[in-house]
Amino acid sequence: MKNLPSICPACQSQLKIKELLCEKCSTEIGGLFELPPLARLSVEDQEFILQFVKCSGSLKEMARLQKLSYPTVRNQLDNVIEQIKVLEDQKQDI
Amino acid sequence: MVDVEPERNNKQKRILRQWLFNPFQFIAGSGALLLGLIVMLASAFLGSLSNTHFDGVLDVHSGTTAPLWFFLTEVLIDWLCISIVLLIAALFVSRSSFRVVDVFGTQALARAPYLISALALLPEGSIRFTNYLVSKITQQVPAEAIKSTDILFFAAGIIVVVLMIIWMVVLMYRAYAISCNVKGGKAVSSFIAGLIIAEMLSKLAIWQLALRTGLLPS
Repeated sequence: MKNLPSICPACQSQLKIKELLCEKCSTEIGGLFELPPLARLSVEDQEFILQFVKCSGSLKEMARLQKLSYPTVRNQLDNVIEQIKVLEDQKQDI
Repeated sequence: MVDVEPERNNKQKRILRQWLFNPFQFIAGSGALLLGLIVMLASAFLGSLSNTHFDGVLDVHSGTTAPLWFFLTEVLIDWLCISIVLLIAALFVSRSSFRVVDVFGTQALARAPYLISALALLPEGSIRFTNYLVSKITQQVPAEAIKSTDILFFAAGIIVVVLMIIWMVVLMYRAYAISCNVKGGKAVSSFIAGLIIAEMLSKLAIWQLALRTGLLPS
């Protein structure tokens, strides 16, 4: 299955969901739905969060697994937090 | 079929570049601190063999005889000055939390190029030429005559030292940026200001140490 795009390739705006489909009974739901904040992050950031949760939130363990230093991993986490805050602020502004 | 060899070579080159200019992506904290301290003390020991002093955060000077403890103390003062000043700068500039051991550890390892500087000034020809220059400056009779090739060793040593200082500054900046999570203009300006302050503090501290221990006439 393809990765879910969150940014418009033509104008770089945030994409929204127009249609949902049940694969089992083929029910289709139309409307305009917001993507949740986590789904709006880049694929790399989403993978980082998944790894972080799997490591029980241990940055030391993540650094060991990724063969990176502790501050490098912590900086990645700080960048993700920053982006989530921006997305939350955007949601509040709407 | 896709040829994976060039891709593998590019990846290896990228990793080598990262280890040379940004090793702190891979090593920080107590590991960097231990390795950095070993390298720093080894630089000071090798420096003592050729009377090469690391007498300031960015200084390399040859000529003055001193006991081994003085060479060792000089490198420790340099490292403590730059680490403490950048730690204070980061408290104002960084919006992230950071560990003190990362700041001190990465700054210790960033001083590794001084080991190559100490080695570059170790050849006998370079030492002889330095002693000759010192005796000329102090208007004394040179203790031994220089050979025609000595100046080549000395010049090669100086070129290596300049390159190593540039490399060290790059490493010090990367160490600061990664350990304190600072980026962009704020990172560059606070680093330059910190470097100037640390350079002045280290020169002052080493000068005071030399005065108080009688290595310099008061």
